[in-house]
Amino acid sequence: MNSKSGGRLVHLLISKSIVEALLIASVAVAFFFATTNPYIRGVLDAADKASVNGWVVDESRPYARVEVQLFVDDHFAAATIADQFRPDVHNAKRAEDDWHGFVFSTPRLPVGNHEARVYAVHSNGSGARRTLQLIGKPYRFRTE
Amino acid sequence: MITDRSLGAWEIVSVTSSALIAEWILSAAAGRTKLIVAVPIALAFILIIYSHVLRGENARDLGFRLDNFFRALKLLLLPMIVIAGISLLIGWLSGSRPDFFRWHAERLILFQLALGFGWGFLQQYVLQSFMNRRAQVIWGRGTASVLVTALIFSVLHFPNRWLMVITFVGGLVWAFVYQRQPNLVALALSHAAMTWALVSTLPPSALNHLRIGLKYFA
Repeated sequence: MNSKSGGRLVHLLISKSIVEALLIASVAVAFFFATTNPYIRGVLDAADKASVNGWVVDESRPYARVEVQLFVDDHFAAATIADQFRPDVHNAKRAEDDWHGFVFSTPRLPVGNHEARVYAVHSNGSGARRTLQLIGKPYRFRTE
Repeated sequence: MITDRSLGAWEIVSVTSSALIAEWILSAAAGRTKLIVAVPIALAFILIIYSHVLRGENARDLGFRLDNFFRALKLLLLPMIVIAGISLLIGWLSGSRPDFFRWHAERLILFQLALGFGWGFLQQYVLQSFMNRRAQVIWGRGTASVLVTALIFSVLHFPNRWLMVITFVGGLVWAFVYQRQPNLVALALSHAAMTWALVSTLPPSALNHLRIGLKYFA
């Protein structure tokens, strides 16, 4: 291959790489926003052998109630809607009304250390995908 | 100054990466519209065709010819019979009864075979007329370029383990035959016939509907 043809091929290879890199970056950004709701706010306040509670708000839809799922020690335990009375969240101006709390009954657990995680369920536009977003931080507790 | 061998390697990496992008990244994010997957595939074909033009390769060089059809078929016949026999034996040992109508059972088998031929032709064109020829630019004709061609074909079928093994063996045979008798029609016929034989004899659970890339886990 002569140098002129080689130069053309190099240009095409570089152009192709740039287009593919841009395409992947666009897909990555679109995928992030399709699977993640950046407006979800919440806290897992407490967990013990009796209950797991906290609050969650979708700031893009402040009057909507968010679906949440409880996982204990990485295993699904329960699902509910965060619609419990939590005036403190409203008073702290974290929510537009008083009804964004969640309370789960802790499943029966063996004696020892455990970890509770609560996730908000996020459906994308068409409802084809449902993803989970961690609320606050995992909460470690001990049962006697 | 970029040497011809470096360019050949770059071309191979570029087309392989396009296929992997389509299989793994875009098909995962495509959702209902599969059109986005066509972008890296189209880019790969633009590169392949432009590369043929720049390197002065004509249709006959690439394997679009019929004069050596029977010579290519003769080279392919024995390995095809052996592979089909091994596949039948593995199926029999694993308790799977041969069923020559289960390859997309909802379609007429002749129609499915025609589709298989077309799909095989396209794959063999990219694999042999491009990958194999560029591998020969780097390593010359022989074992190394045949091995690399087969290895690329196998990697593109990750993570389907059975299919990776089968495509590696098939890739070795097809790359070897192409270097001696470059004929895409014979290779595409062989591709369709071997796919039919494997799907009909091996346990369906092993092939996982020939799924590859992220779709393997679907």
